[in-house]
Amino acid sequence: MSYNQRETPILAELCTFLVEDVYGELAARVYSVLARHGRQTLAAVAKASYLNSRQIKYGLVILLQQHLVFHSGNDSQPTYYEIDWQNSYALVRLGKVTKLVEDRFGRKAANVMTNLLRLGHTRIADLKEAYFPSETESDDDSDEDIKNGIGKKRKRGNGDTNQTAMTNGVTNGGDVKPVVNGDHAHTNGGPVGEPTQDDAEDDDGEIGSVEELYEVIERLIQKGWVRTMTESQYLSPGDMHDILQQETIDQDLGGQQPTGIKDKAICHRNTLERKRNMRDKWLEVPRFSRKRPADQDYSNPTKRMKVNGANGWSSTGGAAPEDKLVIRVNPEKIAVAMRTEQLVSLVEQRLGHVTAYIYRTMLQELEANTPRCYEEYPEPPTAGDEGGDNQIDPKNLVTARDVAKKINKNFDICEGLDPNAIVSITRKGHVRSSNVLSQPIDPSSLNTDEKTRIIDKHIQLLSEDPTHFVTWHSRAGYSQWHIEFPEIAKQLIQTEIENTVSARKGTLGVKLIRALRKKGKLDERATCNAMMMSAGDIRGIVNDLTVQGIVQTQEIPKVERREAKHSLHLIWYDRQRAREKLLHDTYKGMVRILQRIQFEREKVQPLLSKAERSDVVGNEEKWLSKGELDALRKWKEVQEKLSLQLFREDDLVATLRDFHGPLVSV
Amino acid sequence: MAAPMAPSMVPKEEEPPAVDLANNEAASPADALYDKCAQRSQGTVFFQRDLSNMQVAETMAELTMLLQELCDRHLMKLMTFEGEPCWKLRSRAEADKLRRLTPDERLLYHHIDQVQAEGIWSKALRARTNVTQQVLTKCLKSLESKDLVQSVMSVKFPNRKMYLLKHLRPSEDIAGGPWQSEGDFDTALIETISQIVAQHIENETCIKVPGNWNDYERPDRTAEIAHKKAQVQGIRDIEDAPAVKPYQPPRDPNATKIVHRTSPQYPTSASVAEWLNSKEVLRGKTVREDDMEQLLEMMVLDGRLEKISGTNYRTVLTAVDTKVYNGFVDAPCGNCPVFDLCGDEGEISARTCVYFGQWLETTSEEV
Repeated sequence: MSYNQRETPILAELCTFLVEDVYGELAARVYSVLARHGRQTLAAVAKASYLNSRQIKYGLVILLQQHLVFHSGNDSQPTYYEIDWQNSYALVRLGKVTKLVEDRFGRKAANVMTNLLRLGHTRIADLKEAYFPSETESDDDSDEDIKNGIGKKRKRGNGDTNQTAMTNGVTNGGDVKPVVNGDHAHTNGGPVGEPTQDDAEDDDGEIGSVEELYEVIERLIQKGWVRTMTESQYLSPGDMHDILQQETIDQDLGGQQPTGIKDKAICHRNTLERKRNMRDKWLEVPRFSRKRPADQDYSNPTKRMKVNGANGWSSTGGAAPEDKLVIRVNPEKIAVAMRTEQLVSLVEQRLGHVTAYIYRTMLQELEANTPRCYEEYPEPPTAGDEGGDNQIDPKNLVTARDVAKKINKNFDICEGLDPNAIVSITRKGHVRSSNVLSQPIDPSSLNTDEKTRIIDKHIQLLSEDPTHFVTWHSRAGYSQWHIEFPEIAKQLIQTEIENTVSARKGTLGVKLIRALRKKGKLDERATCNAMMMSAGDIRGIVNDLTVQGIVQTQEIPKVERREAKHSLHLIWYDRQRAREKLLHDTYKGMVRILQRIQFEREKVQPLLSKAERSDVVGNEEKWLSKGELDALRKWKEVQEKLSLQLFREDDLVATLRDFHGPLVSV
Repeated sequence: MAAPMAPSMVPKEEEPPAVDLANNEAASPADALYDKCAQRSQGTVFFQRDLSNMQVAETMAELTMLLQELCDRHLMKLMTFEGEPCWKLRSRAEADKLRRLTPDERLLYHHIDQVQAEGIWSKALRARTNVTQQVLTKCLKSLESKDLVQSVMSVKFPNRKMYLLKHLRPSEDIAGGPWQSEGDFDTALIETISQIVAQHIENETCIKVPGNWNDYERPDRTAEIAHKKAQVQGIRDIEDAPAVKPYQPPRDPNATKIVHRTSPQYPTSASVAEWLNSKEVLRGKTVREDDMEQLLEMMVLDGRLEKISGTNYRTVLTAVDTKVYNGFVDAPCGNCPVFDLCGDEGEISARTCVYFGQWLETTSEEV
């Protein structure tokens, strides 16, 4: 986290904007104090702001509920508050998460997810209450929830969720992308990866019964999209490190501060292991009382009825043991899903939509077993231990046959391949000289084996691509593949940097970047040789890219007096630096977009307040003039355009920041 | 190791006239020795052993004398090979020219001769010979006019004039490969050749597939079901509207698509060089494997080719025609010339931004 946690003023500004947009002014005021001053106690926040302590507490409760700030635990010392930049930034993704969940698990799950996002962490009982309000306020029992203001939260929760549940997942904030999709993924070849039974039966996303709600929640937990909430998740990375290191010292080193190199290494290694263990514990799937493994379900069909009866799980609100569980959205999983989307769109650009569809199927197959994009606390390498852990977890492998089984029957998998390959598989007819099949092949008539082999051809295309989207592993299931995410993530970062350069400076700039990346540090003549161009043509580009911070320069004096004439002038390209620069610029771009939205809104504010009047809503045609209607439409267009761009910039941020840890040197 | 004067294997311009052999036989023992040597193949290096075996000189002393005489007449050139003295012939015409040189010129010639195809920079020449600048310029001019040396612009150091013997071809180091002319990259040539090469590699690794290559009947069941339902029920339920069909590419036979071949012979720099040389596109020049590798690597940087495994290349294909950049550069900020000056408030800000104004077709605040 330490890397992501690095704070920049521009990120602070962006996050404050987002908090203000979503949670209002009070929360944003408190937030901005923390953003400007860093880690603070309550008293210090009060000192730095003009708010009284009651207001600050209210603000903090909202922030804590949404996991926008960490706090340092409940020990006797004063509690410190610190911003969770990662989660704060994630506010911009609210709409996207809904869409991702919907594509994978159907609208019901998306509905639950939206509510979880709006509520922050929530007890399952409260969520149930929100969907199916009980007549009596009976739920006073357990207040072992995380300490902050549960009463308030419940009130807020009830109000909010009821509203959202009624409106069926149509998000009501003007700044969140409306959920107008759902058909999109299905039409483009049918549901992928998780062909949910929900998809078939529900299109409205309405949760019909408590049963269903529990089922959806459990499924989301099992797939790792939702995790149980523990107090340790509130610890900031620094606090967590201190606690776990102390624990390591106490337990593994007998309470002695490590002094020697060896002891320090042990301490470091074991602390990292503790961090990993703690984090993995968050993802453990709790036992759901109602649910049994599927086979039991069939063998003992009466059990469900019994449990049901005993607990009285109708909407009247009996308490199941898991009701006390507190759950929240798992932000790491969101990044995994976003990575899938971006890889698929990249493949679509390179190899066409059919291959991209097959790649999507493969990626989603692996998604359930991929809790995060990269290991944040990697085991430090030990000397002489190279290549020891080359073993790949079989869960991270996917075979061509798996894909063939998953794939929609009507999908034309023959498209995008060499006709000769198709003929060699189907052994029907031949390829005419014009590359037309003499006997056309209906893809839906292929048998599984032929399908598998055709899909294997697509997968081979993926593996041959210089990005190496997949890597061959074994011959199980016709052909078995794994995906080397770290390498691909680096490639994605590189692609985005190249895209940026290409938009600014055209192909010449990209050529320069690639040449420098391949050859390392170059002087002018070597650059010319690599690019096969004359120096005059290159100089301008080198200058511009240097000014933009993408190309670095270095001057090495050859003689004692550092004369420019007698120095080597080298240029080089550092991916990590370019990445950070671009990330920073993108944050800034997002801030500008938010500011522009604000500005555009100010311009039409009188009109908006008129349009929002209760007598006007629904009767716009009647009460608003034509000019006003046009202005309103224009505002909506502008807002949509800006928001869309904001989400696309967020995609870029995900690529640059979330898919790979810091890159060490070139 | 090679001595200061490495034997040159470069063919001489012309052979000494063999016709004179009979006439000159009796002329002098030195000439006799010369003629005997001239009978050997061109560029041969003679060691003392070889020369005494020719049985022109009776004794070692006489042989030494004869060789001294030939060297004085510039018909032979003294060299050393691994510490052993050896000699090489010069043609009579060349020797003639050399005889007419002034001592300064000869000195310079000698130094220029030493560096062979690598060439020598005029300043370095001056440093080695210790002559004045005026003498140097004068002598070099006269040497050039006598067709003994040539000057070439260096590729490495564009402002240096390199001198080397007239009959030698300048080495790659100073003249560059086939892609360079007069010390600079020949952009037009490179462009043309890389287009030809790109086309060749595309033919090798890709295949053009017409839109109608797999012309099977496409049943449209969902639409039929919805249609039938509508007929039976009289009205069409909004829920039953035919689902949007999976995207199907058009089947226009003219709309060809290029896809990768299944298992092609991926070209390497060697195979492309061979192909290009066999086509004789570059008149009078052959492309070596190294040159071709340089070109292909450059095309990889250009994004026209991509490297598959160590040495194989193939064409880069993109499935979509429109170039998508990313969210940042598609917004005005990504390309903004004053991005770094833009602040939260002030003259340049999101509120006053003209670029946002153009992009959104709205008005910005006047400053």
